Amino acid sequence: MKKILIAGEGGQGAQSIAEILALAAHKADLKTSYIPNFGVEQRGGVSLAFVQISNDPINYPKFDRADILLIMCNRAVSVVKEFIGENTLVIFDGSFVSDDKLQELQGVVKSYLSLPAKNIAQEKFGLKSTNMLFLGAIYHEVLEIPKEMISTAINEKFAAYPEFQQNNKKAFEAGLQYATSKPDQQFKGRQKQEVKTVYEDDQKSWERFPQYCKGCMLCAVRCPKNAITMGKDLNFLGTQMPEVDIEKCIACGKCMEICPDGAIKLEKH
Amino acid sequence: MENLPKSWKKSALPHKFCSGCGQALALKILGFAIDELNIQDKAVYGSDIGCSLLSWNMFDVDTVQTHHGRATPTMVGLKRAKPEVIAIAFMGDGGGYAIGAQHLINSCLRDDKITVILINNANYAMTGGQMAPTTLVDEKTTTTPAGRKISEFGRPIHGPEMLATIAAPGAYMARCTSDDFETTKNYIKNALVNQIEGKGFSFVEILSMCPVNWKTNAQQSIDFIEEMKKTFPLGEIKVSKDVV
Repeated sequence: MKKILIAGEGGQGAQSIAEILALAAHKADLKTSYIPNFGVEQRGGVSLAFVQISNDPINYPKFDRADILLIMCNRAVSVVKEFIGENTLVIFDGSFVSDDKLQELQGVVKSYLSLPAKNIAQEKFGLKSTNMLFLGAIYHEVLEIPKEMISTAINEKFAAYPEFQQNNKKAFEAGLQYATSKPDQQFKGRQKQEVKTVYEDDQKSWERFPQYCKGCMLCAVRCPKNAITMGKDLNFLGTQMPEVDIEKCIACGKCMEICPDGAIKLEKH
Repeated sequence: MENLPKSWKKSALPHKFCSGCGQALALKILGFAIDELNIQDKAVYGSDIGCSLLSWNMFDVDTVQTHHGRATPTMVGLKRAKPEVIAIAFMGDGGGYAIGAQHLINSCLRDDKITVILINNANYAMTGGQMAPTTLVDEKTTTTPAGRKISEFGRPIHGPEMLATIAAPGAYMARCTSDDFETTKNYIKNALVNQIEGKGFSFVEILSMCPVNWKTNAQQSIDFIEEMKKTFPLGEIKVSKDVV
């Protein structure tokens, strides 16, 4: 019996990982259960997925100690703390979960795998495939499921998006490979990085707020001078933030008006 | 101009709406309208069930979270008990045109002195994008996978136009889009002033993007709003006349 708890920000794909795992286990004639647990939000807010895979019948879909725990975002850390026991393997995104948040679990976590999924995905597969890297790392712990079942499950899950199927399978393989190679690990999250938030020249300053921005890019679409583009830096949800070419900016303020999150502030000097 | 309205509760940020949500944008504009009219201490905000409930802690004004479709009657009751408050009922197309349609129509008939703001995003968003009364003809939703057919589901509802036919002379009806900041702010302010001056029922429908259920990116969302404008004409559909 393996009890797997997956915790992410709504929209990060925590439920997709769980669906694929449960579907693959079912196809492999194992007993399995999957139950999602999230708030009223469609996106945003911590989203939990409880998965169990077993040879014997499963009595109840939830549990209070996880064998494998996946932490995909900062806000999940305090939510999942109570599910960590002596034998829990904690998998976390060392390139995204911030270090000061992670240190809350110092001493509680006995074994862990730090997978820099955001970094790997951003470099090789695109940010949308981040969750598939985690699927690979979790699969390393449930090898009783034949790999071709996972592959079939990925195909079924993304049947409507054939362009994602191959990419996602490659990301899954990369995650599995990373977990198998067991590189040197440290219980460390992302160090606080100085993200550039203020862009200014002598006439105006354009400020972005990573703690509010949700990466919808309405600002870029609205900009009459195409001065705003999708940047490399990530916001609190882990999606890409806009950045401005201050030379091109005419300080019209359209970006500030259209931002649903109040994440852009433009000031004329 | 500030990036956030003064009447928003900073401690509740980031708010709970999805990335690129037009409803959050409409609420930001409502916040600025409240700021500019300086009614933060007199306004009472009533939200409905559906995505609109995600705004339950958004404003630093007195807030009521009502039952589904019951934002209108709750605010009517409040206004009758305490006529000095400025009652704002905020709902989606499900709350206003489906389960709460009777309340909306009767409140308009009684010419209650409240302001109703209704978000039209052409689907039931919180439950996953099912067909709503406002779904466009031929628009695909999870319950109309082949598109909304007039023969089976009728035509999309035109709320402000419908209410205008039964409204009292002092009532105010308008429709705007959440991506048009200035116009929307002006219409919301007009609707609030109409209530403050005691002229009559005020109603603003805001066309709003729902990128998650429409499965659109930023540009496609704006394009879809353009498409919606063909079905739902914008403007002040009924302006209030002086009540004799």
